[in-house]
Amino acid sequence: MPEEKIIVLGLNHQTAPVEVREKLAFERSALGQSLKRLHSLSAVREGVILSTCNRVEVIAAAVDEQAAFREIKLFLSEQESEKKPGGLEDHLYAYSGGEAVRHLFRVAASLDSMVVGEPQILGQIKDYYTAAQEAGTVGTILHRLFHRSFSVAKRVRTETGIGSGVVSVSSVAVDRAKRIFDRLEDKTVMLIGAGKMGSLVVRYLQSSGVRSLMVTNRTFERAVELAEEFQGNPIRYEDFPRYLQMADVVIGSSGSPQILLRSETVRDALKERRQKAMFLIDLGVPRNFDPRIDEIDNAYLYNIDNLKEVADEKLRERSSEAQKAEEIVNEEVAVFLRWLSSLEQVPTIVALRQKLEEIRRGELEKSLSTSLKGLSEKEREALEDMTAAMIGKILHAPITHLKKRPEDQDEDLYIETLKKLFDLGEK
Amino acid sequence: MDVTLLKVTAVFYLLATGSFIVYLVLPKALLSRLSPLILLGGFLIHTSALGVHFFQSGYPAVTQFREALSFYCWFMVGVYLLFQLKYHLTVLGCIIAPLAFLMSLAAFAFGVGTGELPPELKTYWLLLHVTLAFLGNAVFSLAFGVSLMYLLQEFQLKKKKTNVLYRLFPSLETLDRLNYVFLVWGFPLMTLGIITGSLWAGFRWGNYWSWDPRQISSGITWLLYGALLHGRITSGLRGKKAAVLTILGFAVVLGYFLLGGSVFPSRHAGSFE
Repeated sequence: MPEEKIIVLGLNHQTAPVEVREKLAFERSALGQSLKRLHSLSAVREGVILSTCNRVEVIAAAVDEQAAFREIKLFLSEQESEKKPGGLEDHLYAYSGGEAVRHLFRVAASLDSMVVGEPQILGQIKDYYTAAQEAGTVGTILHRLFHRSFSVAKRVRTETGIGSGVVSVSSVAVDRAKRIFDRLEDKTVMLIGAGKMGSLVVRYLQSSGVRSLMVTNRTFERAVELAEEFQGNPIRYEDFPRYLQMADVVIGSSGSPQILLRSETVRDALKERRQKAMFLIDLGVPRNFDPRIDEIDNAYLYNIDNLKEVADEKLRERSSEAQKAEEIVNEEVAVFLRWLSSLEQVPTIVALRQKLEEIRRGELEKSLSTSLKGLSEKEREALEDMTAAMIGKILHAPITHLKKRPEDQDEDLYIETLKKLFDLGEK
Repeated sequence: MDVTLLKVTAVFYLLATGSFIVYLVLPKALLSRLSPLILLGGFLIHTSALGVHFFQSGYPAVTQFREALSFYCWFMVGVYLLFQLKYHLTVLGCIIAPLAFLMSLAAFAFGVGTGELPPELKTYWLLLHVTLAFLGNAVFSLAFGVSLMYLLQEFQLKKKKTNVLYRLFPSLETLDRLNYVFLVWGFPLMTLGIITGSLWAGFRWGNYWSWDPRQISSGITWLLYGALLHGRITSGLRGKKAAVLTILGFAVVLGYFLLGGSVFPSRHAGSFE
């Protein structure tokens, strides 16, 4: 029985720009058909398609590696050319065997993600695996491979800190807000200025529960536009200090060279809101808010540098955790490959026995019909037994070694060598 | 009083302290459930020790300083466990459990004999006064705990440097609200404790207020907490200032409780005599 190899062919955010990824993306509704088409390729035994906004990949178990690569490449370029043909070749990566296993494990563990440690990818892989299972394109090998990848991802998540912590300025801001305030649902946010960063933070706060928003800008029309975009209330710039006391979170995101918010204004606002805490986020460069605001009790001022510092530190922590994660992946790849070769090992042993048995039979019959023609029935039997015993003795040592499954040695090598030496390859 | 039971209690409080501290480093859900349970175990044994004393002598074990300390500790743990049921504030246990352990340990440092209660003290007044006063102080211990947490959390947010506590501690808003909750419960209890104490003093010593050091220290704390509560309700006194005042008030109670009696001798039972 010829053995199957695991191969991966695809592209991701590192090898292809978003336009290419978009063109190649598989549509969820037609995924079943795509999977069946993939499965119908002659070299492909099992196949899974993974298609997220950051990657499009085909993971397959194939008999003839080279043929499979060729066919899948064609399959992918057909998929692409349905929309618009382009130079797909330059963006594709191809892995086989241990490298393919490692790749999938790394993807599942979110080590290959754009934001390392982001948790969504595992769920996406599970989805696409389930779809392939439903389409009937998954067999023993990919079944095992994907389930292993889920548990690798889980191990990485629990044994390393790769998924913990917050990494963007917006998420740091929301994180701090959650340590100042009990809940964000009943809080009011005031956005001063139309900077891009400010909009990002507002969006993040809104997705974390904030419902009430005031927007102000020097040009009132811009404030109205922004307010419409975020479903907030526009406020005239001259009026904003009066409304300040209603704001729990104040975001400064203006390109103005002057200070927009003075510490006296904040002090007054706090007095009016009976010292209920205020969180002030200054995203402006140069600063929008008076730095002395930080000295006021119950006012918490963070500027863009404070937030960036936290985000960068978290990123550094993540990369050192990623090292640990890579080690876990390496371990797991070794375990998986051992399993894979144990699958292969049985047919190899059978093939080896068969081969030697054929030789023995062939030679025996040849001799018995020619030079040893005159042998008696008893002598024939003795010769039969002797040759069979010889074969058994010869095979004993190699089979014992194969079955012992050496822990630290590359078993593939043994099997490969054996196949080469005895010409056991597929015919 | 049964010393063995008290020793076992101290061991449980120590175990709970260990468990709470491990929880600080390794915030697992299991530890968050287990630690209060260990504390509860200690509390139940503690209860039985105090119960045995009560049924044997007919009055609570509060005549000696070490007994009073143990009694106070029992109330504090009990009130914490009650609040834990409602607020799930496991981190607060990280302050309460070590306090409980230290108190039960300190109780041993002052000998193990049982105080004899002079017959004229054997009244229901004693039970009433002691229960109210200790309950009030127990609630203030929790107010002290959340205030301490508030200051630690606020310090991290202001300095923009965080450590492991940052993630475990609740938000400033929650801590501040709990400070208010504990104050609202503790203050009336303390007020009643002072009133019953002073009425009782009136019956026994002839005057309700004799400027006894114990009365003075309670009076200071009462004024402090009264002002704090008033400020909170009327003029938005909250956050860091409220936390600092709470800690100050508690320091006066605890300070007098632990040291004051030896420096300023008092006629009040349960002090050094």
